[in-house]
Amino acid sequence: MESPEFHEITLKINGRVHQLSIPSNWTLNDVLRNRLDLTGTKRACDYGGCGSCTVLMNDVDVYSCSILAVEAQKKEIQTIEGLGDSENLHPLQKTFALSYAAQCGWCTPGMIMSAKALLDRNPRPTESEVRAALSGVLCRCTGYSSIVQAVLDAARVMRGET
Amino acid sequence: MKSLLTVGRSVAPIYGVEKATGTLRFPADVNLPNMLWMKILRSPHAHAKILDVDAAAAQKLPGVVAILTHNDVPRVLFGPYQNEIYPLDEEVRFVGDTVAAVAAEDWNVAEEAVRAIRVTYHVLPAIHDAESGAKPDAPDAVLNYPEAHEIQAGDIRPEQLGTFGNIIGLREGGPTVVNERGDVERGLEQSDVVVERIFRQSEVNAVSHEPRACVALYENGKCTLWCSVQDPYRLQDSVARVLNLPMDAVRVVATNLGGAFGVKVTGRFAILCALLARQTGKPVKIWFTREEESLDSHNRSALTHYVKAGANKDGSLTAIKVRTFLDNGYWPYGGLGQNIAFAICTRPIDLYHRCPNVKWEVFAVRTNRPSTGPYRGRADAESHFPIESVMDELAHSIQMDPIEFRLKNRIHEGDDLCSAPKKVVSTVWVEEAARKGAETIGWERRASLSTSSQGARKKGMGMAMVIHSCGSNPAGTSQAEVTIDSEGRISLFSGTADQGSEQQTTLRQMVAEVLGVRLEEVGGCNADTLTCPFDSGPFSSRTVYATGIAASRAAEEAKRKLLEGASLLLDEEVGNLDIGINFVWARSDSSKRVRLGELARLAGGSISGKGIYNGKNDQLFAYGFAAAFAEVEVDVETGEVKILRLVSSHDVGRAINPMIVEGQILGGAAQGLGYALSEGFYFDPRTGTALNQWFLDLHTPSILDTPNIEPVIVELGEPTHPFGAKGCSEISYVGVAPAIANAIYHATGARVTELPMTPDVVLKALQDARRSSA
Repeated sequence: MESPEFHEITLKINGRVHQLSIPSNWTLNDVLRNRLDLTGTKRACDYGGCGSCTVLMNDVDVYSCSILAVEAQKKEIQTIEGLGDSENLHPLQKTFALSYAAQCGWCTPGMIMSAKALLDRNPRPTESEVRAALSGVLCRCTGYSSIVQAVLDAARVMRGET
Repeated sequence: MKSLLTVGRSVAPIYGVEKATGTLRFPADVNLPNMLWMKILRSPHAHAKILDVDAAAAQKLPGVVAILTHNDVPRVLFGPYQNEIYPLDEEVRFVGDTVAAVAAEDWNVAEEAVRAIRVTYHVLPAIHDAESGAKPDAPDAVLNYPEAHEIQAGDIRPEQLGTFGNIIGLREGGPTVVNERGDVERGLEQSDVVVERIFRQSEVNAVSHEPRACVALYENGKCTLWCSVQDPYRLQDSVARVLNLPMDAVRVVATNLGGAFGVKVTGRFAILCALLARQTGKPVKIWFTREEESLDSHNRSALTHYVKAGANKDGSLTAIKVRTFLDNGYWPYGGLGQNIAFAICTRPIDLYHRCPNVKWEVFAVRTNRPSTGPYRGRADAESHFPIESVMDELAHSIQMDPIEFRLKNRIHEGDDLCSAPKKVVSTVWVEEAARKGAETIGWERRASLSTSSQGARKKGMGMAMVIHSCGSNPAGTSQAEVTIDSEGRISLFSGTADQGSEQQTTLRQMVAEVLGVRLEEVGGCNADTLTCPFDSGPFSSRTVYATGIAASRAAEEAKRKLLEGASLLLDEEVGNLDIGINFVWARSDSSKRVRLGELARLAGGSISGKGIYNGKNDQLFAYGFAAAFAEVEVDVETGEVKILRLVSSHDVGRAINPMIVEGQILGGAAQGLGYALSEGFYFDPRTGTALNQWFLDLHTPSILDTPNIEPVIVELGEPTHPFGAKGCSEISYVGVAPAIANAIYHATGARVTELPMTPDVVLKALQDARRSSA
């Protein structure tokens, strides 16, 4: 195989526009991690099997390892870095951080982004709706209960109930 | 139990916010200017000798900076125990073994270069399973290995071990290890009931979500590595040996890892990364693909156990006879295969200390498979499935409650240990764990459970009892340092990586408690060999126990110095002084006080205390105990097993942080559920090629497969630890598979003897049960 060609692309990530020259076979994940140093988005399986690389594309949770960077043009991309920071945590980040729903932390950004997509479309999910919505993201550390609870707790906070 | 300021409270994990914001830098997240990418060429053969490597075409590709083959690397032993053979060798010993390494300006080029390297192999006969490899006429799985090596760590006394054929051991034809007492044949003969079974367990992969990464930087004669390893000090040692550098010229940073589970240890990839960084003068990064993470790891061995055990009608266990074949892979985690073998045949026997007649032989056999090693629940996950299954069947045969049968034969406080010679067990709260777990699941419902079964769906309940290490392992050493600076800020320096267990949170809670300060006042850093004192690493659930003892001792020493300094300054006896909220106070007169920072300033800028733990000479040995309970529904038509409830009950001594303890129990039990029902790592039996090295094919449980597991904590203390804690991160893995197998037996009368218990395996067991009852 010959080395891939380069493409000039424009990506909008966390509200910022980036003009980049990248090899045509680079995924969105490659660009985030290796060109923009947005390393909060992880990679674990390489092929859309685990969800550690989940980001939002036009508010839908997608696997950034399975989307070519060229395909992500003209879309609104949001990553974990765009959700909140230590001074200004998103309710999901807060409940995950405080309740040990993030053990090793590798799946956490993907889990949180997938949960964000859920809560944006369904602010009052049941436990089984949370499980169904997060079933595209795998976790090896927690046994999932604390994650489900963190999402339900964050949903309550976002509804202004606590 | 005494109520304490910080210990015993579910405080938020210190790395929680960084994890939830994605700002935590794992080794894979380190990117440096002018960094090169490294890729590895891997062997397509299970066993071969490399006759020639032609890298000329690859070298010419634009962007390729350096290529290493076995002709280019120092012939120096390395690895966790300095007994892995050379960073690259002319012999390849499994499909996926490292042949060559490329550094290039980007990974596309590095991958292209890897494909352009031409290798001529002389293919050799290969061994694909332990039992074939153990035969006297079997060809050698590995030709080139150090003649003999000393076991430097673990449970066996140091011995020069050889290899006889492919069996690692002490003598020709013998097993690797045997644990023998009494007369097992006579014991079996005189038993009222005897159960005989063969158990088979598939190899499994730890499936850490973070694929291993290493970034190496070489400048001014010094090498720094950010690497996914649990043993940064051993990697430091290996890099120093191979690069022929003094130890202080090598720095390894492994502060946070994305899961590790025992298997992320010093490896070839990191050594090669360091060599390439030196050769190119540029930073070099390697980040495994999932395929590499599966292959170039240390899996839990595939096992076969031939088990025969007897009991009398009064409930006394009379004899346990086992012969175990353990597939070690090409190289058992730097020689630790022997230790796993030893623990397999001794720990369950310690659990059933009352059994008078035992013969348990383990044959650890070298094969042409990826390396095996101590994955979560090391040795006990391997042994408890057969033993706890047989205990269940014996109890059934004498019509005794399975809990009562186990408790009648169990270990008691002060019993001598065959798993730790010359030591006796400290506390044993296994009965309390079993009773509390039974109460939680409602064990009394068990007898009538079958009446609620519907049609083809049969309900049942089973349990298993467990012993596992909790940190009291004489192989390891932990050091810690606690400092107080002139601002009064307290820092804990510990050599342990946080691989997800948030041990730094727990350790800082202990330090805060000793010093009588708020947790927020304690900071520090961990797992950086430049700044942190030595620690063997977070293995065998040892951090809270071993590093916890070291950290508490360090804090005690710092406290003593603070009080002595304050005593001179305030003219008060040390015994009349107390520390609280940044000050040392005189108890009698609260106006007599001095800031901690002021004491540090007066001492020249800093006060520090050091602590060390090494249990080698302690006579008391602490073990963790647990009981797992499962309630299942088995569909006898499809073989599907639905987990209705899973209770994991634990003797944790004392929970320093109950939220973290429960989190560890839940996570371990969920992994145990995967081992029980779905996970297996399979290889083509003719070629040795992995069949399911990709993520989803390894079948780790998803959020839809995992029920809300119920953790139960028993806190009755442990006198050998300053706060009475026992480690508990691994043990919850161990009992799940046998508890589920026993629940299936209770539901259907079918004994499942294979892991994982996939529907086809369960169906086969159901057929066997029908056939034998017909």
